[in-house]
Amino acid sequence: MTDDSGHTMNKAPDRPRESMCVYAPMDAAERKSATAGRHTGIQQRACFPVRLRLILAFAAIFVYCAGVTLWTIYVLPAVHHKIRFLELADAYRHETAQMRRFEKNYFLYGTHLRDALLHTQKARSILSDNEADILKVMSRGRLTAMQKSLASYAAGLQKLAGGHSPEVRAEVQHRLRKYGHRLTADADAFSIQERRALDRTFSLLRTGPLILLAVLMIILFAAAWHINRKIVTALGRLTDFTERIAAGDYTRITFKKTRRDEFTQLATAMNQMIDEIEKRQEILVQSHKIRAIGNLVAGVAHELNNPLNNILLTAVSLQENYADLPPAEALEMLADIVGETERSREIVRNLLDFARQREREIKRLDLGEMLGRAIRLVSSQARMSKIRIETCIPDNLPPVHSDRQLLIQLFVNLLLNAVDALSQNAHGRIAVTVDAPTQAEYVAVSITDNGPGIPRRLQDRIFDPFFTTKPEGRGTGLGLSVSRNIIEQLGGFMRVESEVGKGATFTVYLPVTRVPH
Amino acid sequence: MNQKLKIMVVDDEAIVGKRLKPSLESSGYTVETFGDGRSAIARLSKERFDIVITDVRMDDVDGMQILEYVRANIPQTKVIIITGYASVDLARRALDKGAFDFIAKPFKPGDLRTVIEKAARAPSA
Repeated sequence: MTDDSGHTMNKAPDRPRESMCVYAPMDAAERKSATAGRHTGIQQRACFPVRLRLILAFAAIFVYCAGVTLWTIYVLPAVHHKIRFLELADAYRHETAQMRRFEKNYFLYGTHLRDALLHTQKARSILSDNEADILKVMSRGRLTAMQKSLASYAAGLQKLAGGHSPEVRAEVQHRLRKYGHRLTADADAFSIQERRALDRTFSLLRTGPLILLAVLMIILFAAAWHINRKIVTALGRLTDFTERIAAGDYTRITFKKTRRDEFTQLATAMNQMIDEIEKRQEILVQSHKIRAIGNLVAGVAHELNNPLNNILLTAVSLQENYADLPPAEALEMLADIVGETERSREIVRNLLDFARQREREIKRLDLGEMLGRAIRLVSSQARMSKIRIETCIPDNLPPVHSDRQLLIQLFVNLLLNAVDALSQNAHGRIAVTVDAPTQAEYVAVSITDNGPGIPRRLQDRIFDPFFTTKPEGRGTGLGLSVSRNIIEQLGGFMRVESEVGKGATFTVYLPVTRVPH
Repeated sequence: MNQKLKIMVVDDEAIVGKRLKPSLESSGYTVETFGDGRSAIARLSKERFDIVITDVRMDDVDGMQILEYVRANIPQTKVIIITGYASVDLARRALDKGAFDFIAKPFKPGDLRTVIEKAARAPSA
């Protein structure tokens, strides 16, 4: 059956084996409640949406920029005051210097006393006219002290102007020198001090923006990193997840975040979508089962006609010859009627057992028995098409865990598929073999037909929903897709090997239940 | 009916032969029953039968093959086909291949008798 020279093609998605060791998949109800639990759990978590994060990040940047602007607005007038003060200080220094120069001239040559007085007056008016500006930089006490010194100096000069004795002159000269010296020293000190302060402010204005720019860069990087982490990582996870769904893995998204945001909403919506897909899948499995039943009914009806015919013929014979029949023969006829009725009951019961809608129930099943039931279900179909079904099912197969009807449906699907493939074949043969190597994790059930085979280019597509090679109206193209879906539900996988003209082998790998000793 | 008609009944359901044989014999026919197509054809090659009644679906050699054999080798013998499922398609195929008539399971011995009588009256092909 397996063509050793042929290529073995693995059409099952290459998933790691470990991930498939799901021995007892959660049943629907259990899974539903688990999902519901997760959903409510996430809803109770604090909500911190990405929108809010973005708003906060941008608000932080805005506040920072606004702070920087305000600081500039605050600093610039101060600089302006300082510059104004420096101008005043320079003018004042100039006046005091002139005043001292003319004072010296007076004492040396007796001239220019009026000029000295004039400049003193100018210096005083600088102080008094710009009092407001000066006070922005200098304390009032100091200004008053300066004004006092200037006033005393002016009073000295006035005294000289109003006639004097040499003693008075010497005394006034001494006083003028003292105040004059103090005045120029004050003016110089001031000027230097304020110039230094201004230099400091200017250097701060030069380096300040660089520091602020660096801080802004750090803030921007932090915001970008945070947003990247939240959005890009979340999107990456969701992308992986959608790829997994496409591959048929319907595990729900688990919520890793401690707070809710738009992505948790998306994930919740996707989980609901999976619930919906699973529901649809279940409906698909069910509706395909109904189709399979429809196929089987034709065979069963035919199968049923044989015992019915036997009963009718026997009953009529009994009726017609009632008076003449020896009791032994009559009894034999009655035994035939009973036997054939029981045979009819078996045929009907087998189909009804398969057709009945039941809650999914995962339990330990005898694989050989399930295969036997599936083969019996399709046997009349096969006989109608003169297809011989050969079985090679060893005893003592390891038990598998599954839903009984689901497992039978899986085998019926694959057997009906083989029967369909052999419909044009004069000597159709289906071989059912089970390979259960000890210690292996999977038991392999192979269904081989000697039909036309599947061209290699189609082998990738045969498991796709709605793909069919049958003429329109004959197949739905869902048989193999539903079968694969069932196998994945049971934690197994399926492979196909086929070559054109050499038939096809579908092998189902089902996880074995290991009983710990 | 000057001489007894010779009838062959072929069906892999043993009860069919078991019941039809006494029933048809009581109507005045000579009846032989077979449970498979191969032994039926072997017998047909040795003995001439007027009517062959055969189930269409049997393992190995089926009713259609018996029909083909009869049409090819002993065309004067009439063939009545028994079908388990009254499919129009199968009936048409059987009639196209030269079957005299067909009868669908389940049937009463009387139904079959009617068809046999019709066949007996009909002129040989």
